[in-house]
Amino acid sequence: MATKILGDDPFGDAPAPKPEPKVEAKPEAKVEAQPEAKPEAKKEPKPRAKPAEPKVAAPPVAAPPVAAPPVAEPAPPPAKARPETPGSAYGPSIDARDASRPSPRIADDLRGIQDAVKHRLATRDATGEHAGERQSLPLEFLWRRWQKIAMRDRSDVVDEFGRDPHVAARVDPILSFLYKSYFRVEASGLGHIPDEGRALIVANHSGTLPYDGAMIMHAVRSEHAAHRDVRPLVEDFVFHFPYLGTLMNRIGGVRACPENAARLLEKDQLVAVFPEGIKGIGKLFRDRYQLQRFGRGGFIKLALKTDAPIIPTAVVGAEEIHPMLRKLTWLTRTIGVPYIPITPTFPALGPLGMLPLPSKWYIVFGEPLYFNAEYGKEGANDRILVNRLAEQVRIKIQDMLDVVLNKRQSVFFG
Amino acid sequence: MPKRPQSSRSPKSDSAITTTPRFDPEQRVVAVTGAYSFIGAELIKRLERDQRFYKILACDVRKPAFPLHKTQFHKIDLTNPTADADLAELWRREGVDTVVHAAFLSAPTHAAAWAHELESIGTMHVLNAAAECNVHKLVQWSQTVVYGATPSNPNFLSEDHELGGEHSRSRFIKDKVEAERQLRRFSKENPSTVVTTLRTAATLGPTIRNFASRFFSRPVAPTLMGFDPLMQLVHERDVTDAFVLAVTTDYPGEFNIVGDGVLPYSTILALMGKVPLPLPHFIAYPLSKALWAAQIFDSPPNFLDLLRYLCVADGDKAKRVMGFSPKYDLKQTIADFLGLPSAAGHEHLPSVGGGV
Repeated sequence: MATKILGDDPFGDAPAPKPEPKVEAKPEAKVEAQPEAKPEAKKEPKPRAKPAEPKVAAPPVAAPPVAAPPVAEPAPPPAKARPETPGSAYGPSIDARDASRPSPRIADDLRGIQDAVKHRLATRDATGEHAGERQSLPLEFLWRRWQKIAMRDRSDVVDEFGRDPHVAARVDPILSFLYKSYFRVEASGLGHIPDEGRALIVANHSGTLPYDGAMIMHAVRSEHAAHRDVRPLVEDFVFHFPYLGTLMNRIGGVRACPENAARLLEKDQLVAVFPEGIKGIGKLFRDRYQLQRFGRGGFIKLALKTDAPIIPTAVVGAEEIHPMLRKLTWLTRTIGVPYIPITPTFPALGPLGMLPLPSKWYIVFGEPLYFNAEYGKEGANDRILVNRLAEQVRIKIQDMLDVVLNKRQSVFFG
Repeated sequence: MPKRPQSSRSPKSDSAITTTPRFDPEQRVVAVTGAYSFIGAELIKRLERDQRFYKILACDVRKPAFPLHKTQFHKIDLTNPTADADLAELWRREGVDTVVHAAFLSAPTHAAAWAHELESIGTMHVLNAAAECNVHKLVQWSQTVVYGATPSNPNFLSEDHELGGEHSRSRFIKDKVEAERQLRRFSKENPSTVVTTLRTAATLGPTIRNFASRFFSRPVAPTLMGFDPLMQLVHERDVTDAFVLAVTTDYPGEFNIVGDGVLPYSTILALMGKVPLPLPHFIAYPLSKALWAAQIFDSPPNFLDLLRYLCVADGDKAKRVMGFSPKYDLKQTIADFLGLPSAAGHEHLPSVGGGV
């Protein structure tokens, strides 16, 4: 059905495809060094090689019909379009056609095609350079429709680390619900986060799944004066999981590695790191709020090298969302996860057990630590110093945790 | 055209005796292997127009299909066991100062043994001949897939990142890594030669035919459920620009030649109007293996890693050191590949030199 519209479309007066400059029609020749040449030789039967002829435009239906079903809008009976479209004056005649059908969009599509052909003609005449161009879109307007549908929940611009503003905006209400109603997060010390410029938020890590990263992100975005975006660095294993890694990436998570962190800080971003890493997020319930070793002090090196202040941060409440009683490490390598958690609910209640418990959360941002002023960039090479500073930060966060824990009366009501 | 004295360059052994200047910037002779390939052919077209180049030697098994003026075609098969001697003789006779080695496959092939002969052994022949003639410069084409797509890649791979493609089970990628290894050894042994490696990202454009263009020409594209890595592309014209830059000026080292911008794979498919075919990865791998073994599909199973994990290279070094500035960003590359008039695309059409 769609092809008939195209039957009259401006492709009718598009130039005949010029001979490919590169193709020497020697199909029997053995292509040794360049398989690129092969498809060219075979190209003739392909319909898209001949954009100009309406008749040949029929076969390519192969592609668009697949795209057609999702086009839910009432497709206008295209047969009508046919008779009254004179090839020369098709532009105005489209506009003049009966207004009963939802034509404007199709008219736009057709105008787009018209522009495409004009552009093609112009570039070809001017330079002859584009003579070898192919027409990949036999049914451009259908393609545009499909593109619109396929692009509806995503942005065509992501930042260089993959944060998609559309996806982030869609996930935001969920985070907001978790933040305000579910975990009832109380954030304090937001004033310690600079309004602009780089900074490294260093926090304790817990909760089996990286909810704490998401909550820190949301706290700063919604409650900080400058509404800054925090880029949490996420453990590798999250990216081995289907869906989870992709989702974390689209809403702003970045794989934790020194290269990524340095690049972000150099662009004056706010980065959240969890130096405990996998040891922290996979803590057993009986070890809750006992900070684990802070990796190898990579975050200190990073802060020294990039001259970024460290903002020690304590997250209270995340330990209780998935109280992990045991963890299975048996056979987990093969499926690419570090362990399988056993919580009071998890394997027992199936997927329902993956819901976090609604504990009451506190996030405390501490005073920034400017190590760089004291030790300079060279400090990053002093391993003993790096370890000492890492331990210093760890103790600081542990103290902050203890203060909040001592005040807390109940896990669920604060 | 100025007449060039027939100075035959001496082999390395008695180079002390010769007094001929090694490198005449106004009378350069460039040899291009893989002259029929996209990069070879486009480079020759550009060098033909450049006054600084006196002569171009096109070495390949097929003659480039456009009129040649100052280009001489020499039919040399790199899989031939004596190709190095042939090349060395030819290059010495003609006084070649710059060798561009672009005789690499742009798509994986089932003829893995032959591909190995061409890429790995062929590179050996080229390097032997280049060492023998003591050429001034060697530019080799490589691809960013040599870094390999692994879950432990940083978001932007710099040039000094290890070549993870070595551990890939794909012969296509392994051969490329091997060629780079040989080149590195060559560079160590021949410090007087300027060695440049240009690693191009997946290249698309209106005329190029390669794995990526074939992959993105189909109406349906497989995706792995739950995985949606960021991807980058580079426009064919920018690739040619980079090669011209590397040939005209000396930039020793490795460079990633990539276009600006990254997008998730699924968004690229959506922009191109492709229908995604989501498959769980534990089904996709065996399926792809079977299809590849049956020679039904043209991508080996390991290529699915590229749809699963990040393999994005950092183009900063090329911009900083070479002054390479891609004229097409990711979306413009896609638009130009599709044949759409993108707003920015107009400005970058040939007559306009500058950009972005």
